[in-house]
This record gives sequence, C-alpha cells and structure tokens, in this order.
Amino acid sequence: MNDTPEFKPESPGLEAWRMFRRNIPAVFGLVLLIVIFLATLYGALIYNGDPFDIVWAPHEMPGATPEFPLGTDYLGRDIIAGLLTGGGPTLAVGAAAAALTMFIGISLGALAGYYGGWVDNLLMRFTEFFQVLPALLFAMVLVTLFSPSLWTIAFAIGVVSWPQTARLTRAEFLKIKELEYVTAARAIGARNKRIIWKVILPNAAPPLIVSATLTIGVAILFEAGLSFLGLGDPNVMSWGLMIGANREFILEAWWPVTFPGLAIFLTVFAVSLVGDGLNDAFNPKLRQR
Amino acid sequence: MTLSYLLRRIGYGLLLMLGVVILNFFLIRLAPGDPAVVIAGEMGGATEEMLESIREEYGLNKPIFTQLWIYVSGIATGNLGESFFFNQPVSKLIGLRIWPTILLVITAQILSISIGVFMGVIAARKPNGILSGIVSIFATIGYAVPVFWTGIMLIILFASVIPIFPVEGMQSVKLRDAGFVVKTLDIAHHLVLPAFTLAIIYLAQYARLSRASMLEVLGSDYIRTARAKGASEVSVLFKHALRNAALPILTVAGLQFGNLISGALLVETVFNWPGMGRLAFDSILRRDYPTILGVLFFASAMVVVANIITDISYRWADPRLRRKS
Amino acid sequence: MSPLLEINDLAVTFATRHGEVTALDSVSLHVNEGETLGIVGESGCGKSITALSVMGLIPQPHGRIRAGSIKLAGEEFVGATPARLRQMRGAEAAMIFQEPMTSLNPVFTVGDQIAEAITLHQNTSRDRAFKDAIALLDRVGIPEPDKRARDYPHQLSGGMRQRMMIAMAVSCRPKLLIADEPTTALDVTVQAQIFDLLNEIQRDFGAAILLITHDMGAIAEMADRVSVMYAGRVIETATADQVLDTPQHPYARGLIDCIPALGKSETGLKEIPGVVPPLHMLGAGCAFAQRCDHAQARCLREKPKLINHGHHPAACHGVEEARL
Ligand SMILES: Nc1ncnc2c1ncn2[C@@H]1O[C@H](COP(=O)(O)OP(=O)(O)OP(=O)(O)O)[C@@H](O)[C@H]1O
Ligand code: SF4
Ligand SMILES: [Mg+2]
Repeated sequence: MNDTPEFKPESPGLEAWRMFRRNIPAVFGLVLLIVIFLATLYGALIYNGDPFDIVWAPHEMPGATPEFPLGTDYLGRDIIAGLLTGGGPTLAVGAAAAALTMFIGISLGALAGYYGGWVDNLLMRFTEFFQVLPALLFAMVLVTLFSPSLWTIAFAIGVVSWPQTARLTRAEFLKIKELEYVTAARAIGARNKRIIWKVILPNAAPPLIVSATLTIGVAILFEAGLSFLGLGDPNVMSWGLMIGANREFILEAWWPVTFPGLAIFLTVFAVSLVGDGLNDAFNPKLRQR
Repeated sequence: MTLSYLLRRIGYGLLLMLGVVILNFFLIRLAPGDPAVVIAGEMGGATEEMLESIREEYGLNKPIFTQLWIYVSGIATGNLGESFFFNQPVSKLIGLRIWPTILLVITAQILSISIGVFMGVIAARKPNGILSGIVSIFATIGYAVPVFWTGIMLIILFASVIPIFPVEGMQSVKLRDAGFVVKTLDIAHHLVLPAFTLAIIYLAQYARLSRASMLEVLGSDYIRTARAKGASEVSVLFKHALRNAALPILTVAGLQFGNLISGALLVETVFNWPGMGRLAFDSILRRDYPTILGVLFFASAMVVVANIITDISYRWADPRLRRKS
Repeated sequence: MSPLLEINDLAVTFATRHGEVTALDSVSLHVNEGETLGIVGESGCGKSITALSVMGLIPQPHGRIRAGSIKLAGEEFVGATPARLRQMRGAEAAMIFQEPMTSLNPVFTVGDQIAEAITLHQNTSRDRAFKDAIALLDRVGIPEPDKRARDYPHQLSGGMRQRMMIAMAVSCRPKLLIADEPTTALDVTVQAQIFDLLNEIQRDFGAAILLITHDMGAIAEMADRVSVMYAGRVIETATADQVLDTPQHPYARGLIDCIPALGKSETGLKEIPGVVPPLHMLGAGCAFAQRCDHAQARCLREKPKLINHGHHPAACHGVEEARL
C-alpha cells in the first residue's frame, strides 16, 4: 500500500464494477440470478396454464414422460409449471421485504447514529427489543393475525428483519459524521435533513448495498419457510408451498420436494455470491491487489 | 464480574420481557375482529358463555389500561391464559414442550460452534489452502440452503438409503418405559438428525468467522511472543490465539441465538420433534392465539437468557472488560 | 573459545508482490559468551529479521532462509527440526520485543504467562512455576509482585510490561538474550531504567545480549561490540569504542554524527539525507551509493565486501581507496 502509485479513480461505482467483473464467483452468481429471474418471468408464459391444475397421474417420475420432464407431485400437478410460476411470488416477496427492511433499518439507524444522545439511546433499546423476538416466530404470528397474502408476508418479514440493518447504518453514520466533509457541509449551513440524506447516506452506501443484497437472500428464505409451514398465500403457487404440500410423501417420491428446494437454494446462493462480490469490490483493502 | 453488573443485566432482561408481554397484548387487539373471539381461537365452537368468561377473565369490557394491567399481572404470576384448543393452561403446555426445544437448540449450538470453530482454526493456518477454500464455499452454501429442505433431504437419505438414524420424533414408543440410560441414549439417537440439520447452517458461518478472526489474531505480536517462548503449535493455535479470536465468535453466537430458535421451529416441524416449534405450528394452524403468544413469550425469554449468558462469558473471556470492584 | 552465537553468510528472502526480495544478504556476526553485541541501523535494514532468524521465527509463509548458517553454542539451527527449535526457544535463546503493549497476550495474567514459559521447558508443577514467576517479577523490580502476577497486561504501565517481558525472557536462564529495541516504545526516563535492568540481569545471569537499537547512545552505554547494518547487510563491525571513535563506513559516520552531543539541545538533531532504497530496487552496487558523498563509478557496479581495511572491517570501496 505504501509504495503503490496514487491514481485518481474515475468513479467509485465504475471502479467497483471493474473489481466485480474480475470476481468469477460473483459474475457466476449474477448470471445465475439473471437466468432465474428471466425463467420465472417468461417461463410462466411458455408453460401457460394453472400450476394448481392436475395434469397427469400422481407421482410420475422425472424423465418418465417427456411432457413432464421433472415429473408430477402427489396430486399429479406438473412440477416444472410449479417451479416456473412459483418463483415470481418468492422473488417479489423477497424484494419487497428487503426494501421494507432497508427502509426501516436505514431510517432508524440514520437517526440514531446522526443525532446520538437520547435519540440514539431510545432507538437502540427499541432495536434490542426487536432482536429479542425470534424473527420467524414473530413473522408467523404477524402473518396469522393479518391473514396471509403476499403483502402481509412481505410486511411481516420486513418488520422482523430490520434491526441488523439499523445497527449497520448507525455504525456507518457514527463513523462518517465525524469526517471533514460533514463538518464542512455543516459549516456552510446545510440542514440536518440534507446532511443525513445527501451527504452521509451516499457515503455509507457501499456496506448498505451489500447488506441489502444479503437481506434479499434472507427474505427469500423467510418467505420459503413461511410458505413451507402453510402460512403463505394459499392461492399463489410458491416454492416453499410445493415443498410443504409434498412433505407427507417424501418417502414415496423425492422429486416434488427436491426440485423446489434446489430452486430456493440456487436463488439464495446466487444472491449471496453477488453480495460477497459487491463486498469485495467495495472493500478498499482488497482493491489494490 | 461484579454482582451489580449481573443484577443490572438481569433487570434489563426483565424489562425486555415486559416489552414482549405488552407487545403480545397489543397484537391480540390489533387482529381484526372481537378479541374474545381471537383469544378463543377460530375453532367455530366457541360458545357465547365461553366468550363471556373470556371477556370476564381478561376484563375486555374495562378500559384498555386496566386490561393491560390484568394481562401483565396475570403473566407475572405465571398465568399465560388457557389454550381453548388443547383445553389446558398455556404455561402447562409450554412447560412440557420447552425442554425438547432447549435440548435441540443447545445441542445444535454446541455442535455448530465446536465443529465450526475447529474447522476455522485449522483453515486459518493456511489462508490460501484447500480447507480455507472449502470453508468459504461451504459457508456460502450453508447460508443459502433452506433449513427445512436440508432436514427433508436428510430424512430421505436416512430413511431409505442408510437407515441408521431415526427420522421422526424424540423417543421410540417401545422404549418409553425403559431405564434411564436406555432412554437417554434413545433420545440422543433421535437427536442426531435434527441437531445436525440445524447446526449445518451455523457451523459453516462459525467456520468462516473464526477463520477470519484467527487470521487477524495470528498476525499479532503476542502470538510471536508465545512462539518465542517455545510454545507448541497446538498451544499457539488453541490456547493463545483462540482465546482472543473467541471474542467476535461469542458476539455472533449471542446474536445467532434468536435465529437458531427460528430455525428450530422449522426443524421441529420437519422431524416431528415434540418441542415449542411444533407447538407453535400446531397452534397457528388452529389460530390458538394464547398458545402462540405464549410460545413467542418463552422463545423471547430464551433469547434474553442467552444474551445475558453471552454478556457474562464475554466479560469472562476478555479481562479488559472486567472492572475491578 | 568458539562464540556463543555465530551467524555466517545468512541470506533471508521474502516472497512479495514485487517478486522475491532479499531482506538479509550474507550477514555474518557473532556474539561471545556474556558479552553484549549491538546491532544498529535505520528502520528496515534487517535488524529484526536477523534476530528472528536466530529464534527460527522468520515471518511465515513468505519468509525463507536461503543460505548460511546460525550456530548457537556450536549447534547448527538452520534446517533444525521444528521440535528442536521449540526446545531451544525460550530455553537457550530468548527474545524481548519492541512493543510491550502488544507483545503480551491480553487474556492471560502476567504470572500465568511467565509460568507458562517455565513449564514449557522445566519439569515443574504449575504452582511451583507461578511462585517462580512471582520471584522473577520481584527480581526485575516490580513492586508487590504477588499481586501484580495476578494482573492482566492492560493493568500494567509500559515500563512494567517491558520488565515483565524481561522476567519472562530470563525465566529459563537462557545463554542468549535478544532484545529488539526494548525501549523504543517507552518514556525516556523509563528507557534508562530498562537498560540498567538489562545490565544487572546480564551480570547476575551471565547471559550474552544481542541488543538491537537505532539509538547510538544506547550502544555507547551497553554494547561491547557493534555491527552496523544497512539494507540487509552488515557494513561495519568492531568494538563499540572503535565504531564510535573511528567509524569507517560513510553510513556509520553519518549515524554517529547524528548523536546529539551531551549538553546540546536536541533541536539541531541531524539526519542522514535520503532514504533507504526499497528492497526490490536494490541494484548491483553499494546500496548506500545514492546517499553517499564519496560514491564513485565502482560503487554502482560492485557490492563492497565486509573486509578489514587496516582499522576494522567495513564494507566500502571508499575506505579501501582512501588507504591505497
Ligand atoms: N513479512 C514480510 N514480508 C516481506 N518483507 C518483509 C517482511 N518482514 C520484513 N520484511 C522486510 O525485511 C526488511 C527488514 O525488516 P526488519 O523488520 O528486520 O527491519 P528492522 O531493521 O528491524 O527495522 P525497524 O527498525 O523498523 O524495526 C524490511 O525492509 C522489510 O520490508
Ligand atoms: S561503497 Fe561507495 S557508495 Fe558505498 S558507502 Fe562506500 S564509498 Fe559510499
Ligand atoms: Mg525491527
């Protein structure tokens, strides 16, 4: 680090992207994610029809009938149809829940970190309180109370998962608010609101972007867990629901639970590869290698 | 470790629990519909007398703060309400179910920390070695696998392919009346799959974390001092380095405990493990709110206790945090 | 009588992102029983690496002994088995480090850390070793040693910690004590106390000391003989008086000119102009050439060897020329 020549970066985003591009697992994750996304987007169109429709004999082995390459479930529903239509809701709920998580977490964390004092104290106690509640259980309670739909599920996941984001945001704000450019902004008379959103937040963005990515992964797992338990929207096909519905018959047929599980795994895996890649790309320590 | 610190810590824990109770109280009232009906559960069978007695007991006709007071003081005396589905006091229901959950969660915690940390320590010796690579790939995979699916895959594997572990329940029916030793072994045998299912996710994370933490510690001056004394490699790694590297691991172990309980919920459902998670699942299907909220209360209490233990062990592990009395 | 420590033509390299760099280049020196050898030189010249080589503790995985020999009491330690090295460390040669703040393990008590050093090499009980540790703390001038033994490092001052390091180092009565800038991190008043303590210890325990420093004043006070290092090589070696009075190498002369004369204020502290070239940029000639007033064409072509030019050994073409 000491004898590396100084160079002017063109823009942090562009530089991070160049780092990211060189990270093979991260690029693999990104491609995988795009493939999954496109598959759930267009696949449903190709396999038109209701995934709840019974189309064949129950428990058809994968490969036994060319029409149903991944076989059928205990009711004779096409597994590929389920996979392709079930991904959409899972991804949508994951994204919506992550957005809510980030919104609550960043807002509270920013206020706590920026204002400090009793505001910080109060908000952090509040955060600690939420960390005491086991997230999945709390989400289950919320979903049951407010009857399951995609929105309530996304809402419940967001409400239970923000504390970590709040802590991270607070830590970043505590660090950044001491830096010179913040003092400078204050000296020229910028308002608190402006300093929080326009000065500090953009500089806290890298770790928050990484955290947002990983939050999507966690939210997808949450959604899967809830639908697996039968707490998802019963009228919408989802990967977790497929596993939950076929759970009783796993010893007779492995495929109806295996493929949706693989789909969840691959999606979250891809998301976390991208997250790790972003983390490395934003991390100045690794940048110079 | 000062006593006053301990008392303060416990006091704060009780405050958090009070928060959970108040939250529970408002959750019932937030649910759409008549709270009495909510409490009775949507079994359809709640008679008007039953609802009346609920209104009486919970003081539902009284002002909201009186209701809150009745609720909080009820819980303070150990009254978590009545499960109308199971027809039993909630505290009794949970009292039966909490031990299997504690057994499962603690076993998983011990497994994941001990195996994970061991792997991490070994991997840290060669930061670019094969084991390091395996640890980080494994950690990413472990993070991405839905825990209930891991459980199901293990059931498929161990039920049909290599049937050496039971895949369901906590005890064999035929051994219910066996002697203590046989019974304990039987439970341990049943525990293997659920505990490993739960441990796998966290195991990988602990391995990655302890590898990173060890790498940092192994570069420090006092490790060189230990070597200069002639300490063996094992002692350098597991005594001098690990004691220091354990601090961030402990922090995460404390934070993970809540997640572990969430995971246990799913694992219990998959393996039919007769714990609180299974109870929560059953009562949610029946909308048996007193039981659900009781489970939420006890699960939160477990997290609070775990946090206190973490704090204490943190102070034990890092003498810099101990203050002289 | 053969010397206690004898290093011959030692070469140590590091794998870096600039390729393999030579941190030590044919370093030769020796320490006789009971004497103090000072090693001086600017930061980065290889003093610590020399010391760590003796202990068999070259930073892994990048560092490597390429050539040469290190003999302690006649026994060769280059290529010794790890087990033998472990046996030697702490028992036959012990080391005191520069940073007493970070060189002690924060999670063990001072007494435990000394007792560990003892139990590693002697067949005693832990209790016995702990009692010995208290006696050692007393010996190095720590007040209330039985209480302090139960303290953790963060509860002690820097000077106390360095005393404790010394107690730990001498706990197994090693023949050779290596002190790598033992006072650099300490207050000036404490520095003198530590040097006094080292002198006393040497007298009582009869250990030889390899004292690393870049403080010529400390050399004048402590050392019997001196080796001056520059960019990974020994460039001058003689008795302390000889080097201080009649330095041969221009670099050594520069170092001695930098010593603030007694009584003078420190404001006029001189420095040798220029910087040490980074290891990966060392060329074929004398590493000091860029900073040397006497550099000639030959200095850029050919590395000067450490040879006696009449007075005492120095590695400089200029000395040779002057004598011719
Ligand atoms: N782990 C390492 N990897 C690469 N190079 C190293 C490493 N350790 C030391 N070096 C190089 O070896 C050379 C000698 O280092 P050494 O620590 O012996 O210097 P020193 O004389 O003790 O300096 P100081 O007075 O600062 O302690 C330095 O130039 C340094 O760059
Ligand atoms: S060899 Fe030449 S350059 Fe090097 S110190 Fe001597 S005179 Fe100066
Ligand atoms: Mg040094």
